[in-house]
Amino acid sequence: MPEPAVSASSLSYRVGDATLVSDVDFTATRGELIAVIGPNGAGKSTLLNLLSGNLNPSAGQVLLDGNDVAGALPGNLALLRAVLTQRSPIDIPYSAAQVVHMGRFPHRRDPNNSSERDAAAVADAMERTDTTRFAARIFATLSGGERTRVSLARVLAQETPIVFLDEPTTALDVAHQERIMRQAVVLSRGQRAVVVVLHDLNAAAVHADRIVLMHQGAVVARGRPRDVLVEDQLSDVYAQPMVVVDHPFRDCPLVLTA
Amino acid sequence: MAPVVGIGLLVTAWAALSFGAVSVPFDEVLGVLARKIGLDAFADPSRRAEAVVWGIRMPRLLLAFAVGGALALVGGVLQGLLRNDLADPHLLGIGPGAAIGAAIGSAAGGIQGAIAGGVVAGVVTAFAVRRLARTTSIDPTRIILAGVALGAALSAWVGFVVFAADRATVPPIEFWLLGSLTGSTWRALGTSAFFLVVTAVAMLGSAHLLDVMALGEADARHLGIDVDLVRTVLLIAAGAAVGATVGAVGVVAFVGLLVPFVIRRLTGPSHRYLLVAALASGALFVAAADLVARLAIEPVEIPVGLVTAAIGGPVFLWLLTRRDNA
Repeated sequence: MPEPAVSASSLSYRVGDATLVSDVDFTATRGELIAVIGPNGAGKSTLLNLLSGNLNPSAGQVLLDGNDVAGALPGNLALLRAVLTQRSPIDIPYSAAQVVHMGRFPHRRDPNNSSERDAAAVADAMERTDTTRFAARIFATLSGGERTRVSLARVLAQETPIVFLDEPTTALDVAHQERIMRQAVVLSRGQRAVVVVLHDLNAAAVHADRIVLMHQGAVVARGRPRDVLVEDQLSDVYAQPMVVVDHPFRDCPLVLTA
Repeated sequence: MAPVVGIGLLVTAWAALSFGAVSVPFDEVLGVLARKIGLDAFADPSRRAEAVVWGIRMPRLLLAFAVGGALALVGGVLQGLLRNDLADPHLLGIGPGAAIGAAIGSAAGGIQGAIAGGVVAGVVTAFAVRRLARTTSIDPTRIILAGVALGAALSAWVGFVVFAADRATVPPIEFWLLGSLTGSTWRALGTSAFFLVVTAVAMLGSAHLLDVMALGEADARHLGIDVDLVRTVLLIAAGAAVGATVGAVGVVAFVGLLVPFVIRRLTGPSHRYLLVAALASGALFVAAADLVARLAIEPVEIPVGLVTAAIGGPVFLWLLTRRDNA
């Protein structure tokens, strides 16, 4: 059993009287794509913020590659994990290429790094996200989907062993949703641990190795897509009758509202 | 752009050292400068020329450069830090806040007391503005409105301090609120330059951090920047720099708004170029404005802040309306 890249034990996060995340254990191993799903307000984004070190847990501990996130220097954390958020500001005056280049910022003091290395990482990240053709355009003038892809390219350019993606497909058309999710899979196959918060249950069903289902701050199910995406459980958690059938040609379940 | 600013600085320096109540020929100006570095070159200057050029005009010119460079640099830094290109140290109220401390310090310890008091009050006001920014940051123009209101209230308090103080030791209210380089001395220059150089090093050294912070606080953290630490250091530096300028020459308006705004059109948003270019251009702007203040209606001197405001005010209005239309 390899050492998990992400390892969290009994994580809780409370604000005032509200418990947003309650006693959650979580592991992710390199080479694995984990989808976190659940209804609005289930605590998915809060969990991601705890795992990535944006929030300090009220209780529990997060280890990234064996390093305790609490008390880690921001610069060291940035070499361990990259994060794609939902709420990046849009009024960024830099070109797409400059934004992606900022993904290299954590590597600026690495003696093995070089400007050629930076340029190669940026070019590769933009190629993978299909953003090369608007490299020179100003970020603020891009469409929502284009901005998401540029931000993802920035995350790729950071070249960290752990990647957190918070709803990366929300603003995208189906073709780009599929493309982004395939990139996430490629990333995980390149020996990274990839944790993705998703609303699209079928994207999780198709692409995730494991799914974590959250409800009211707690994990109610986890495991392979077939084990988690079960009619009764989903209907219960989403308070919406659901039907789960077999995907016509992929080896995974397909979730539909009933 | 660099050559234009460079030539502008030289021409301004030449004019500032040569012209005034007494005109000193150029070769005599050079003679004074040569003598100061131990050379016997150019025209042999008269004692009177030496007193005017070295004793009065030189510290005034250098102080104008230092104040202008510092204010433009602070403007560029605050605009990056607050992600708001309307941020200006004086519009945000930092200048008037510093002026209260400077006026009090002036009563206690002359020019050095004024600069020290300005530095302390400038830092305090900078953090107060940051609190305002946190509560009003949803709408970028609201922080400016809040800053203007804060500045107006603080300006009134400058008046209270000045009128309560001894007229013989504390400069009048026009000095504090409109700015003037009239009293520039080597001592004022030395004291403020100490603060201005230290803070400028901190601010210029943070240029690459400000670039990444344009991505927003969350992503700047994800990329390894200790956002709270950077913000604290830069607010201290900005407040101290503004305070040092206010203590030495009072509030010189709109430099911090106007100069980075114009420069950003020319250099693009990257702070590495923006901040250096703003510093040089701000130095040029204030030194040139001081020339106008001195020479426009001789022998009367206009407060230099009136000249910068006369140019900066319309530009600011244009900026505001442009933003509303956008």
